[in-house]
Amino acid sequence: MSAVATRYEVVVGLEVHAQVLTQSKMFCSCSTDYLTAPPNSNTCPVCLGLPGSLPVINRRAVEGTIRTALALNCEIPEFSKFDRKNYFYPDLPKGYQISQYDLPFSRNGHLEFDVKGEGRRCGITRVHLEEDTGKLLHAGAIEEAQSSLVDFNRAGVPLMEIVSEPDLRSADEARQYVVELRAILQYLGINNGDMESGQLRCDANVSLRPVGRAEFGTKVEIKNMNSFRAIHRAIEYEITRQTEVLDSGGRLVQETRGWNDARGLTVSQRTKEFAEDYRYFPEPDLPPLEVSRAWVDEIRAGLPELPAARRLRFTTSYGLTAYDASLLTSSKPMAGFFEETVRMGAPAKAAANWILGDFSRLLNADRKEIEQSSIKPKHLQELIELIDSGVISGKMAKETFVVMYRERDPGPALTALRGSSQISGDAELEAIAAQVIAENAQSVADFKAGKERALKFLIGQGMKISKGRANPQRLEASLREKIT
Amino acid sequence: MPEPESELSSREVEHVARLARLGITPEEVVRYRDQLRHILTAIDALKRADTSRVPATAHPLEERNVMREDKPEPSLPAEDVLKNAPSREGPYFKVKAIQE
Amino acid sequence: MSLFQKTIRELHQMLVDNEISSVELTESVLDQIAAVGEKTKAYLVVTRELALRQAKAADERLRAKRDVKPLTGIPIALKDVLCVRDVVSTAGSKILKGFSPPYSATVVERLEAEGAVFLGKTNCDEFAMGSSNENSGYRPVHNPWALDRVPGGSSGGSAAAVASGEAIGALGSDTGGSIRQPAALTGIVGFKPTYGRVSRYGLIAFASSLDQIGPMTRDVADSAVLLQAIAGHDPRDSTSSPRPVPDYLSTLRDGVKGMRLGVPKEYFVAGMEPAVEQAVRDAIRLLEQQGASIEEVSLPHSDVALPAYYIIAPAEASSNLARYDGVRYGYQAEGAKNLIEEYMLTRQQGFGPEVKRRIVLGTYALSSGYYDAYYLQAQKVRTLIIDDFRRAFEKVDALLGATSPTVAFPLGAKTQDPVAMYLNDIITIPANLGNVCGISVPCGLADGLPIGLQVIAPGFREEIALQVAYAFEAATDLRKLQSPLMRAAAA
Ligand SMILES: [Mg+2]
Ligand SMILES: [Zn+2]
Repeated sequence: MSAVATRYEVVVGLEVHAQVLTQSKMFCSCSTDYLTAPPNSNTCPVCLGLPGSLPVINRRAVEGTIRTALALNCEIPEFSKFDRKNYFYPDLPKGYQISQYDLPFSRNGHLEFDVKGEGRRCGITRVHLEEDTGKLLHAGAIEEAQSSLVDFNRAGVPLMEIVSEPDLRSADEARQYVVELRAILQYLGINNGDMESGQLRCDANVSLRPVGRAEFGTKVEIKNMNSFRAIHRAIEYEITRQTEVLDSGGRLVQETRGWNDARGLTVSQRTKEFAEDYRYFPEPDLPPLEVSRAWVDEIRAGLPELPAARRLRFTTSYGLTAYDASLLTSSKPMAGFFEETVRMGAPAKAAANWILGDFSRLLNADRKEIEQSSIKPKHLQELIELIDSGVISGKMAKETFVVMYRERDPGPALTALRGSSQISGDAELEAIAAQVIAENAQSVADFKAGKERALKFLIGQGMKISKGRANPQRLEASLREKIT
Repeated sequence: MPEPESELSSREVEHVARLARLGITPEEVVRYRDQLRHILTAIDALKRADTSRVPATAHPLEERNVMREDKPEPSLPAEDVLKNAPSREGPYFKVKAIQE
Repeated sequence: MSLFQKTIRELHQMLVDNEISSVELTESVLDQIAAVGEKTKAYLVVTRELALRQAKAADERLRAKRDVKPLTGIPIALKDVLCVRDVVSTAGSKILKGFSPPYSATVVERLEAEGAVFLGKTNCDEFAMGSSNENSGYRPVHNPWALDRVPGGSSGGSAAAVASGEAIGALGSDTGGSIRQPAALTGIVGFKPTYGRVSRYGLIAFASSLDQIGPMTRDVADSAVLLQAIAGHDPRDSTSSPRPVPDYLSTLRDGVKGMRLGVPKEYFVAGMEPAVEQAVRDAIRLLEQQGASIEEVSLPHSDVALPAYYIIAPAEASSNLARYDGVRYGYQAEGAKNLIEEYMLTRQQGFGPEVKRRIVLGTYALSSGYYDAYYLQAQKVRTLIIDDFRRAFEKVDALLGATSPTVAFPLGAKTQDPVAMYLNDIITIPANLGNVCGISVPCGLADGLPIGLQVIAPGFREEIALQVAYAFEAATDLRKLQSPLMRAAAA
């Protein structure tokens, strides 16, 4: 790669298609469930393109798109409309896709993200709204299939197209851009970020140009990348391939190439000898939209905390490193898991280490998301507490964690760790509680003043004194009784 | 870029027919070319109108922001979906291999 | 007089008074269809069983005097561009041969709710593209006034059915004159409401920004009744207007006294037949005698309306007709090697010559390099035409002119010359582009062939068009005119 870096500059722009999570389709009232519903069961005259049917815009899809655009720092023009993009394909029932051409809902935004702890910024050309196509199923490879089967359940599902500027300069940057974008969509509750099922799809335009030259080289569009890893590998592969072509004096052709994950290479799909002519024109079946400033303000007011803000908060309020904060916040469920664990009393640093270390390793190996695990914040907090209070060693904890991870219910493994050494006797517990109260006057006062968190601290102190052997529920009861 | 004034050629008719996925015979190419030239000559009157300061009307209506709430409703019964399909296989529409 | 010769209003009274039953009435019309149907070829499908079933249901409503509406029990014909659930709906095209929609158009549902009786689907130019009905994918319609002549188009089947006694009233669709011109050529009343007044949901699209459904009837009062039943907002059509629908019958007889009526000088076009011009000028004079003040007005961009239309309509059509690919419904060609070839063959064999011509023209007008010169320019011209009407309606309440520059012409006379055929619509097209409403009412005969007077009113002022047309109709005895085919069969 070093040779590339000196001779050629890598230019990557990404087009991400993300489903807008709605109950009903973009232009009809059919359910958007295309993953589990029987084939063609969620279809109607509108999404089958039957003669005479007409589209009606789903308000939630429009608002979701504007929400996303605002989160990506876009301008929202006051006037917008839908257009028809005309082309023939068997998964496109009307012979045109309702999309947006010259007046999309948004333009001129940007996305900031980290690459190995360093800040980067990529321009967002536009975020527009369109309808998804149906799905084609072939027996075997598309090139060899004698026929295909068509399922229109996905036809008409609302889809955002998020187009970046060609600002990305490496496969790492491209991957991190998508990681950050996915996190934002998750935080917004607009898309669950599932790349494998196709709810989030990414195409990359990759070209090389000699270092120092202003104009772009011939670009190649790469499709069919179904994971972060695939995005990274495909772009790396394409950089190497294009470098070799250029170095050997060859010429690149503008074309579409599909990423073959199993073989680890891109394959030419079709050459664009003449550019497609989509004959865009304003959709006559849909009146245009006036996006009032009041409407935009209302949508803006409903924006949740976004990954960048949360990242900053994680460094300031929990004292995490920028790197840890960045990793934790890249997934909304993971960030939530972390905060919940800390809220239950675990020290932030320890919680972060566990989540980003042992826990992530296990999840990655299983290709699972944190919310799918049977380990809940409570389990992790208790495990950390056992270590901190010296009941078990770090080594024991790591071994136990694997056991807990494999169990449907991790509770018993934890209880077993705590074992028979747990102190449940009233007299002994009361002695511990009395010692805690005596040694922590300030926290006792805080708790009396209504600060629930102070009690957590006192319980923690009690666990420490007892080396984790106190039954926390009973200790809590005892403390409450003595203080109030 | 082609000049709009230039006369429509047989190649353009063929190109446009292919864009529209419309098979046409060589005789039809010639016939359509001649008829369309005739029509386009009549249509050239369009260029006489001074529209330098005129906005385009894509939409004759005053209505804006016509939207519906995001509420799912029942779809068509399965048999209705496929009852007109020229080729089907089980619950699917069936199409020939896509080759360009 | 046979039942099938009467009007909706007369028959409604007889039904309410229990003088006749809807089954009797429906049988009378079905008998007339059986008698003259092969002469006019007005229908593509006659839904005899459905009609009799609906007539029986209507009779029950009438007997119980429950939920009786102006159209309860009245036999109506539907242009084949309207989808009717489980009734073959083809838009007059072979590419939709046998297509049985799983849903009904909103106007169809509204008529059903009124208790109307559906006689069948009327013949039309394929996808409503034509002015003579000779572009039907099945067979041309013949004019009941002279069987060797065209009935006009594209709603020629609906027009012929109403004019021959094969329906009491009918629905047509009008994209550039397709209701008004055939109404004029067959001596009936045809009304194109303002775009947005009637829901297009379930209307097989030709040109989405121009198409509008409207009534075709024996007289103006019937037109008001039928429009009343179908007008109004529909949440399934985003382009349908939420404006309230006035009571059209309540102002129908208010007369034209004190009204200002404009005569656009551009509407007396070159090539207009002298007899047509004479009849229209006489009609204008008659309205003046009724108390209207007449003044000449100008719609300066009328000459570019036709060219603008022949860009906008084919452009939208080229896109609307892309869905006919033989995958989900309709005709599918045999013997293709792959899908692309199958698309090409299906569309080559399924569409007729005029449709293909317009698909090529529309695709060309939208293709890169030509979009600005043709499509965008046509849309700007459309703005000019809208402004023309707006300025004219600042001065006058309605506009008067001929509907068609000629009377019905012989079958085959213009089929070889598309441009000559397109000129038929030269004075009806501006109303579609300008988004106003227009009604055609009979105003005389030339050599036994009907002539139509067109009354154009501002957008969403259908009551004005009806009022003027009614005042004219009431001042003449033209309402009693019947086509020879209707007269002969009744004798
Ligand atoms: Mg797209
Ligand atoms: Zn649907």
